[in-house]
Amino acid sequence: MRSTLLMGNEAFAWAALEAGVNVVAGYPGTPSSELVETVAKLHAAGVAHDVYVEWSDNEKAALELLVGASASGARGLFTCKQMGLNVAADALLSANYVGVRGGLVLFVADDPGPISSQTEQDTRRFANFAKVPVLDPWNPESGADMMRHAFEVSETWHTPVIVRPTTRVNHASTFFDVPSETHARPVPEGGFEKDPKWVIFPRRSYAAHGEINDRLHEIASEEAAGSFNPLYAYAGEECAPADAGAAPLGIVCGGVSGAYAREAIEMLIARGAQLPAFDFLQVGTPFPFPVRRARAFAAGKTDVLVFEELDHVIEDDLLMLAGRDKLSYRVHGKLDGSTLARGENSVEDCARRIARFLGVTDALPEEPAPDPAAPQAPARPPVLCAGCPHRGAFYAVKRALRGKKNVLCGDIGCYTLGNAKPLEAVDTCLCMGAGITMAQGVAVAEPGTKAVAFIGDSTFFASGMTGVANAVYNQHDITIVVLDNSTTAMTGGQPHPGIGRTLMGPVSDPIRIEAVLEGLGVTCIEHANPLYLKESLAAARRAVDFEGPSALIFRSPCTQIVRPEPRAVVDDDACVGCRVCVEAIGCPAMTMSADGSKMIVDAATCYGCGLCVDVCQHGAISAAVRTEGRVPFAGKAGE
Amino acid sequence: MLNVLIAGIGGQGSVLAAKILAAAAQARGWKVRTAETIGMAQRGGNVTSHVRMGDAGEEVHAPLIARGTADCIVALEPGEAVRALPYLAPDGLLVCARTAIPSVETTLSGEPYEAEPLLAYLEGAAPHFLAVDEAAICEEVGSRKVANLVMLASAVAASNGTSFGLRGAIGTDELVRAMEACVKPAFVALNRAAIDTAIARVGAPSVN
Repeated sequence: MRSTLLMGNEAFAWAALEAGVNVVAGYPGTPSSELVETVAKLHAAGVAHDVYVEWSDNEKAALELLVGASASGARGLFTCKQMGLNVAADALLSANYVGVRGGLVLFVADDPGPISSQTEQDTRRFANFAKVPVLDPWNPESGADMMRHAFEVSETWHTPVIVRPTTRVNHASTFFDVPSETHARPVPEGGFEKDPKWVIFPRRSYAAHGEINDRLHEIASEEAAGSFNPLYAYAGEECAPADAGAAPLGIVCGGVSGAYAREAIEMLIARGAQLPAFDFLQVGTPFPFPVRRARAFAAGKTDVLVFEELDHVIEDDLLMLAGRDKLSYRVHGKLDGSTLARGENSVEDCARRIARFLGVTDALPEEPAPDPAAPQAPARPPVLCAGCPHRGAFYAVKRALRGKKNVLCGDIGCYTLGNAKPLEAVDTCLCMGAGITMAQGVAVAEPGTKAVAFIGDSTFFASGMTGVANAVYNQHDITIVVLDNSTTAMTGGQPHPGIGRTLMGPVSDPIRIEAVLEGLGVTCIEHANPLYLKESLAAARRAVDFEGPSALIFRSPCTQIVRPEPRAVVDDDACVGCRVCVEAIGCPAMTMSADGSKMIVDAATCYGCGLCVDVCQHGAISAAVRTEGRVPFAGKAGE
Repeated sequence: MLNVLIAGIGGQGSVLAAKILAAAAQARGWKVRTAETIGMAQRGGNVTSHVRMGDAGEEVHAPLIARGTADCIVALEPGEAVRALPYLAPDGLLVCARTAIPSVETTLSGEPYEAEPLLAYLEGAAPHFLAVDEAAICEEVGSRKVANLVMLASAVAASNGTSFGLRGAIGTDELVRAMEACVKPAFVALNRAAIDTAIARVGAPSVN
């Protein structure tokens, strides 16, 4: 054992490996991605033995693969972010009825805020809907314990189990003792055993529903007695573990809110607050709700304050308990406005609300008055990187559409950032793969409008292909622009079917996007390197002028996977300070001199892609790739 | 509790700086938690790394630093120092890089974006303040990529023998050892040079 700083997601990976997981599969999505990458890294390093790991094509593919592995007796771990479970929902709900053999754990990362997601959906609710147990860690340590426990629960009760951390648990780091190596548990001899139970039929489902109801009841009872729903009694400055509540006041927390609240309580004590006695319950197994534990906590309560992020899940269960047991406590939380109804909780917010709840507002630090002299911090939203190929693609398509009424349907990935000024090339963004199909809806509703869909290479394989088939089948007049940067850039550069490299090392033949489009019946397929404006503009015009479904593939690598070219150089004698380049493509490497008379290329930021050379109308910018006639980044694969 | 907030722009290396600080604290046997901005914001957006150290042996619950409780802010850019300032504790230390880095938005606005007015404000607003000419140090060392280590080393030097900032809790040697444990062997010498040069510059700190 050696002590190592692990990010939450790395700790989850270690815990699963220690639990002997055989198969790990998922689809990338912040804040979940590092788990699969950690397993792959440890496997490649010869630390994690006998484990199989892959990035699947999408979440549904990953979960179905794992259900198959589980039926053969293997322990399986699925990973995704919260919306990924929507994609895999069909498989999950049925798998719960069929039941599992080898432990099947779903690691689903929620994202309060949201920080990098489309929705603030709550996987605890999803678990309730799917009738699957869910574990909700409050820090990486409890999460690692829950991961190991989840495999046991899954195999004991033949149920899938969800482990649901949130961003501040996934991306928080602390030190862990890790073993020198891990071994997957051998798959039982004989493997898959043929049995009618693996085939879902209505009659079988009716019986299974009863089994599910029974096991949820049993699991709730067991978890109520376990260590994932710790109860503490606070008295004065002391905090001690307890078996039952004694005080009339209580605080109940879910997830990382428990860490915020405990910190806030300590802050109030340190500031001299004389706290009345109260009880503190952390609910780590929110579904099935640990009723017995909650009942022990609730005895004699008059008021309960609940901190949880996303939905009011624990709050609802406490209200239900009060109704069922005819208890007279009041529940304060999201429903009555006592805690934040959306977004993240924080130590500061918990401190204010706890101080009010416990009647010690005198101990709160004074809110500093805003300083009228304070300068404004600069607006600094995320942007497409210098040298990003999407910049040229968006610019060319917008130029090609000048004078044509158009709707630009975006999708999920770095290229969503094309919505920002000055490109403003993303009019819609919904969910994975929706750009291609939304464009078809626009084309149907507004025949005179050119609907263009932008989709990245990874998203294309994950959920774009069925939309292409629909466009060809129903002959929708849209243009599909594939932004192929040869990686899954937004989530940190994961490989996908179009690249061929897998997480297990061997290279498979890349699936060619052209071949997919051709195979699905797209007849107009144009190509361009988006770093060359003229060629891109011509290709874009041909694609958008085509009647019926057309495609345009822009291909140039993500700058995160290549080394930079020599930077662009501005000829100060030729630059007239017209700002056309800055306002056309908004590259972060381009700024203006203090007097505004010249454009300046920032040497450290510029990637030497050469796009600005084409945009300048005064021939004032030069780049080595152009003067030497080289294709940018060819042969510059990163280390 | 010792809270250090590292504020910068995606790509500047705040995550590595946090890791090094955590390693130094761990070597002392303290409980440590860190938290990072990961995801879309890393594409040139403003990012922060939180490092929380139980320097008195206490439990660390939350991964994030509360506003008004950062003992030290290490800012890799003056505008980001302004954004992070509400996190600084009443007796906190702000160590700030001198080079202003424009954003696409500031460039598009047409207004000049300059460091001086920001630094002037920060000097008056932060209880303890040190501005570091990180660009000059990076140039001397030969790489702009080590600004994170330059700033971290400056914070260590500025806290040497003080009761504020890092409160002298982490020495130069400890920082060097932690860096060596965290960076690839090929980059140890470069980062070592960044630390040494920064410490030599800050040397007798003129922290007010």
